[in-house]
Amino acid sequence: MTTHRQPRLAARREALYAWAFVAPSLIGFLVFFAVPSVRGLLMSFTNWDLLRPAKFVGLANYVRLFSDADFLHALKVTAYYVLMNIPIQTTLALGIAVMMDKFSKSTIIRGILVLPWLLPNIVVALIWLWLLDPTMGFLNQIIMALGFQRQPFLGSTDQAMPTIAAINIWRHAGYTAILLYAGLQTIPKEIYEAASIDGANERQMFFGITIPLLRPVLVFVLVTTIIGSFQIFDTIAITTKGGPVDATRVVYWYIYEYAFVRFKMGYATTISVALFVILITITFIQMRYFNANSSDLD
Amino acid sequence: MRSRINALALALSIAASMLLVACGGAAAPAAEPTAAPEAAAATEAPAATEATAAPAAEAVTIRYGLWDGNQQPAYEACAAAFTAENPGITVKVEQAGWGDYWNGVQTGMVSDTAPDVFTNHLAKYPEFASKEQLVDLKPFIDRDGVDTNQYLAGLADLWGRDGKTYGLPKDWDTIAVVYNQDMLDKAGVTVDELNNADWNAKDGGSFGQIIKKLTLDANGKNALDADFDKTTVVQYGFIPGGSGGAYGQTQWSHWAVSNGFKFNDGLYATKYYYDDPKLAETIQWYANLNLVDGVAPTLADVKSLGANALFTGGKGALTTDGSWMIGAYTKDTKFKTGFARLPKGPEGRKSMFNGLADSIWVGSKHQEESWQWLKFASSPACENIVGSYGVVFPAVQSGVDAALAAYTAKGIDVSAFTAQATEANGTFLFPVTDYASEIGPIMDALMDSIMLGEKTAVDGLKEGNDQVNALFQ
Amino acid sequence: MSRAHTRTAPTIQLATILAWIAFALVMLVTLFPVYWVLRTALSDYKEIYVQTFVLWPVGFTLDNFKRVLGMFSAEQSVAMGGTATGINFWLYLRNSIIVSTFLVAGQTFFSAMSAYAFARLRFPGRDQLFFLYLTAMMIPGVVTLIPNFILIRDLKWLDTFQGIMAPGFLMTPFTVFFLRQFFLGINHELEEAATLDGASIPMIFWRVALPLSIPALSTLAILQFIATWNDYLWPFLVGKNEAVRVLTVALAIFQSQTPQGAPDWGGLMAGTALSLVPTLVIFLVFGRRAVNAIQFTGFR
Repeated sequence: MTTHRQPRLAARREALYAWAFVAPSLIGFLVFFAVPSVRGLLMSFTNWDLLRPAKFVGLANYVRLFSDADFLHALKVTAYYVLMNIPIQTTLALGIAVMMDKFSKSTIIRGILVLPWLLPNIVVALIWLWLLDPTMGFLNQIIMALGFQRQPFLGSTDQAMPTIAAINIWRHAGYTAILLYAGLQTIPKEIYEAASIDGANERQMFFGITIPLLRPVLVFVLVTTIIGSFQIFDTIAITTKGGPVDATRVVYWYIYEYAFVRFKMGYATTISVALFVILITITFIQMRYFNANSSDLD
Repeated sequence: MRSRINALALALSIAASMLLVACGGAAAPAAEPTAAPEAAAATEAPAATEATAAPAAEAVTIRYGLWDGNQQPAYEACAAAFTAENPGITVKVEQAGWGDYWNGVQTGMVSDTAPDVFTNHLAKYPEFASKEQLVDLKPFIDRDGVDTNQYLAGLADLWGRDGKTYGLPKDWDTIAVVYNQDMLDKAGVTVDELNNADWNAKDGGSFGQIIKKLTLDANGKNALDADFDKTTVVQYGFIPGGSGGAYGQTQWSHWAVSNGFKFNDGLYATKYYYDDPKLAETIQWYANLNLVDGVAPTLADVKSLGANALFTGGKGALTTDGSWMIGAYTKDTKFKTGFARLPKGPEGRKSMFNGLADSIWVGSKHQEESWQWLKFASSPACENIVGSYGVVFPAVQSGVDAALAAYTAKGIDVSAFTAQATEANGTFLFPVTDYASEIGPIMDALMDSIMLGEKTAVDGLKEGNDQVNALFQ
Repeated sequence: MSRAHTRTAPTIQLATILAWIAFALVMLVTLFPVYWVLRTALSDYKEIYVQTFVLWPVGFTLDNFKRVLGMFSAEQSVAMGGTATGINFWLYLRNSIIVSTFLVAGQTFFSAMSAYAFARLRFPGRDQLFFLYLTAMMIPGVVTLIPNFILIRDLKWLDTFQGIMAPGFLMTPFTVFFLRQFFLGINHELEEAATLDGASIPMIFWRVALPLSIPALSTLAILQFIATWNDYLWPFLVGKNEAVRVLTVALAIFQSQTPQGAPDWGGLMAGTALSLVPTLVIFLVFGRRAVNAIQFTGFR
């Protein structure tokens, strides 16, 4: 902007306005996110069963974390999920967004695409649990009608995690597409016109114009979906509960199990802190790598 | 503007709440269980602060929590009868499904908002008791002279520890075999045969033969036939209720105990015997129904929708389940179903005998009134009402009679469950110990891997036993 | 209004046809499970596990819907495989509308204010504060759940609408992040022109930035409305009381009652189908608005 020409008074006024603009959200942030999180961090240095006073144990929970094979397993399972979920979901969503932009601006089609996301989580999980049931599920009936062996899906240690990834892609792809579609609308069409006059083909325009100009939104989508998929929980809570055996015991389920099944809040928050550190690192790298603070319009 | 108003409101209410905490500090629930006489006195303090809301005073509302929606009308009827007798006390019945229910109780205890009286479970109460969340009922029982012998044998004992009592029984359940009448008829198996079947862990006994006879492949051949093809089964002889986790209540506990297994040495034992060879051979037989014989669906098949759904869908002829599921098996199926006795094992017929009880939460501000309600809810007056709804077996004999009458009126024969309960040595009690919430996840995963054939029963159970017993060290 | 010229005349090519087929396939896969909700809702409860390979409702009946709308007595409901717990559908619907509307209005507005500051204004500590906001997204909800619950209790806001709305009313990290990225993406020129005309910062925000970002704001508002509508655990903990109970919490009574039990499929699916109607209407009505807004802002 034009800061260089602004006198200092104006700069101070701008800062003052900025803080006034930020103030309400800052209150919300402090009261409902920051303070409880700090309390959570403190909790990780204690043994707390929720009901009796917490006992300070120093770094004991962290020492335990580093030798906890189940935690390592949970990390692996989570990473496996994220690596299946994110690339497929993002590509699919981008494809749908571009197609919506090109072929149809119909609200109906957009409505259909977000339908899965309109359904409550519980219902999504239950409906898929049923459609994918090994004996009575509709999908298996089709598979058998086509002459193949029926599949256990959520019931086998090999297929459970990919199946959960597929369910969540189904749920979120349309929604992600809507976000990206909204981002596509901010790209000035004149740029495409100019490029097409210069003889660029569709492919060149996609990689040369769409992707770079979509960057702020794309970064937003990637950052939020990656954070979200590291916190995959709902679908697992209803369909597999971490099983069969421990095939879908992701980090978030592991945290939940310690907090509300085993009532070991201290250790649960320790795992939470570890997950938090991992996510911060990933996000920080992403923001740096994508240079998220600017779009190529600048 | 709005943001300022909001911030102001927030600041004001934070200040107000701090004030409240400061004043109400004494009234906050003490972590120690309050003795009965003090409890009665304590009810007066909060009543004073609520005086503005209810100038009439004395009018007290007790919140009562339960998870089984089918029992809600019964207990609402009880509550109405109770209020008629005790005009000052109203009971508000709050129901939430199993998962949410415990979530709500737990967070309620943390945040001082749990129900005054709530339905408790044997796998849950020792934890609440050791965390000093339950009122000791013993002083109340002694004061009012409640006869704990009115409950069916052993039920009341399950709820005590070190001379304290944490609940009064309200109902009980046993396990029986559920059958699909149409499938029995087609295979020429009579209900008598089923009722008189025997079982052992080596070859399943005559019950094992019946299972095979009821299993059909795509060519209509049953599993006794030499040409039986276990890859094309269209009707399973038996539907296991899953891997059963730490207790196998409806899944394998009856097989294992009738084979001579015992979980531990009784109430609050500090050692489990999961490495018992008797258990290992039972579990291996149970897993092999699918893994080797192909007469039962896989764990994957059962896990997603549950044995009840597969049975209702006509995928199998037999299963075992608890008496609280009677309604689900009889009214939601398109074919005729019935309940048969568990087969006779080497040690006889054995069913887990489990029961629910009501407990009072220590944080209740109306402990005396809560006790009045709890006493009523587990007395014949209420249990006869509950029994008459025919959804559960009450803990007192007159209630059981009322329930039997109700089931008979509906045309359902439930004698397989009641006969098991009254038979000499026909039941064993739910293994109540500490660390239940940690034993659960350990055994769930291991039993899963045995059922999936990833581990043998001997190895898996040894591993589980070591991990479980390490908790008690 | 240059849209008419943006596209080269559509020539039907093989690629286009393939794209359409792919698109249609996506639609089908998207729609089918939603259809299955409706099919189950319209089926007789006794048939649910029996005829699983039939596309249309089995034993067509409106009983499940009637049951959810409270048109049967408790005994009749139980006889139909449901629970005896009645649900006061219209009251819960009203509560859901109140909570979602007010929460989203506050959230969107306050998030937009701070997002604008983060995207456009210069102030010391801006980027650090923004990154701090971002980190709030990575805090597992398990950690904040109980402290927040206790806070609401201490405020005496349990069983009140403000208790349900409080945590998200002033911001969520997601909404601030979303709007900041959009403010970054739109053109500066109009705002700069306004600055040269001597407009103050609040004026520019109100008169220029907000109108320009109506597409983003309405998209976000719709998405957050639906997210709030479907939120379950928080309103379950904070708003148990009948007077403030929202639809999702009420629908939970159709889930399994006992650990082994199956959910009441008919009731659950009929309830879901009914609760879907308001969100779908909002999406279609306001979604259209958002599209129109995109076309009328005229800066592209």
